[in-house]
Amino acid sequence: MVRRVVVTGLGVISPVGKNPAEFFDNLMAGRSGIKRLHTDFSDKLSIRIGATVADYNPADYFSKIKLSGIERFSQFALIAADQAVADAQLQLSEQERPRAGVTMGTGMGGASSLEEGYIEIFQRETPRVKPLTVLLTMNNAAASHVSINYQLQGPNVTYSTACSSSAIAIGEAYRQIKDGYADVMLAGGSEALLTHGAMKAWEALRTLALEDTADPAASCKPFSRDRSGLVLGEGAAMLVLEDAERAIRRGARIYAEIAGYDSSSDATHITKPDAAGQTRAITNALRSAGLRPQDIDYINAHGTATLVGDIEETRAIKQVFGAHAQHIPVSSTKSMHGHLLGATGALEFMAAVLALQHNAIPPTINLHQPDPECDLDYVPNIGRRNVKLDAVMSNSFAFGGSNAVLIAKRFSG
Amino acid sequence: MSTLQAIQRMMAEQFELKEEVLTPDAQLESLGLDSLSVIEFMFNIEDEFKIKLPDERVELKTIQDIANVVDRLVAEQQQGNS
Repeated sequence: MVRRVVVTGLGVISPVGKNPAEFFDNLMAGRSGIKRLHTDFSDKLSIRIGATVADYNPADYFSKIKLSGIERFSQFALIAADQAVADAQLQLSEQERPRAGVTMGTGMGGASSLEEGYIEIFQRETPRVKPLTVLLTMNNAAASHVSINYQLQGPNVTYSTACSSSAIAIGEAYRQIKDGYADVMLAGGSEALLTHGAMKAWEALRTLALEDTADPAASCKPFSRDRSGLVLGEGAAMLVLEDAERAIRRGARIYAEIAGYDSSSDATHITKPDAAGQTRAITNALRSAGLRPQDIDYINAHGTATLVGDIEETRAIKQVFGAHAQHIPVSSTKSMHGHLLGATGALEFMAAVLALQHNAIPPTINLHQPDPECDLDYVPNIGRRNVKLDAVMSNSFAFGGSNAVLIAKRFSG
Repeated sequence: MSTLQAIQRMMAEQFELKEEVLTPDAQLESLGLDSLSVIEFMFNIEDEFKIKLPDERVELKTIQDIANVVDRLVAEQQQGNS
């Protein structure tokens, strides 16, 4: 018998909200978390905008003893995981722990600790770095802290596929349960790389959005003719995935069923997105869900607001959905929360799940100048409420060519 | 201020612990400090007392153990400098 996988808990800390309700309210209201950065290095940046977690004080969440061993990206992961576990009212017996696990995505792991170490060695020329540097910076630190915190003794795997990392983490967690290797998985992603060095590296790649000087919050303009690139963001999103039978047995609230997932590789170019590769991931995700293109009621786009990326994604959607493409609302919430890189897939899948739950579609903001090459319904500027959603899709397409597509549908027992 | 008092003060600050629990014979583990927290703390001790810990590991179980090591290293390393 095929096992079904449901979402029973959500947790998020992001530039547009520190819990799922606040997150979705802000998305629906079209509020941007993007702003001008005021840090000790921002005057050295050419592009000074970013989407940070506002008013974040680690001491609100962790004791000082704990903090010395937990990097910013692990802090975010633990905060989101804590919310998700509480939301799901998840309790695991001793026997269940070996069949509960965690998968996470991250791009740069503990970027700030690595950078601090480099500053010590190369700039201050001190002979030593902080003794926990390795443990703070390693990419699997966040997932491992989650595993330890909740005694998850099953799989503990971190995926690092750039912008699709956490979509892959959720998809692979779904497969762990569906294929019978686990019963419960915490899955998501975390990223915290708004550091001097990482931002300079992104700047050099010339994919960052230029600041909208009139309104920095409006700098990210997906699908708009005046788009100029992505805005880096930070945060984490975690979901509790569960075998449907287990969830029903314990009377858990079920947000949605994960209906399908697939991944593909462009295998063409390290940065240039490729509609053919994206099409393969979308088509195979639909097939795995047993759904037809016309069954999808909303797509949360990858929509980074790069010149090429938005056109290519539009092309892929049209290729798969044909004439129906014009009737599907497609929005890029990155216009508000920015690009959380390794955490973005999880954050956006969560937005899609919340859209399904609320029958409400968040908008693509800053879309005032239609691009003739981007000609779908991008839900410009104003969210839609009271729409009937039964199945939603979330696209994630990464540098490196790794594509991941997740599909959630309304659960019916 | 004695070495012990200075260490107690640093611990109270770094780990937000009440000074009254930081007795000389308090077990580091029972204060909630695992081996990694102790390594992190000793890193700051090096700065504070301008000493360098030897590469070989030193057994540290109580606050007094730390004070003893610091006193020994301060004596040795200041002697070496003169």
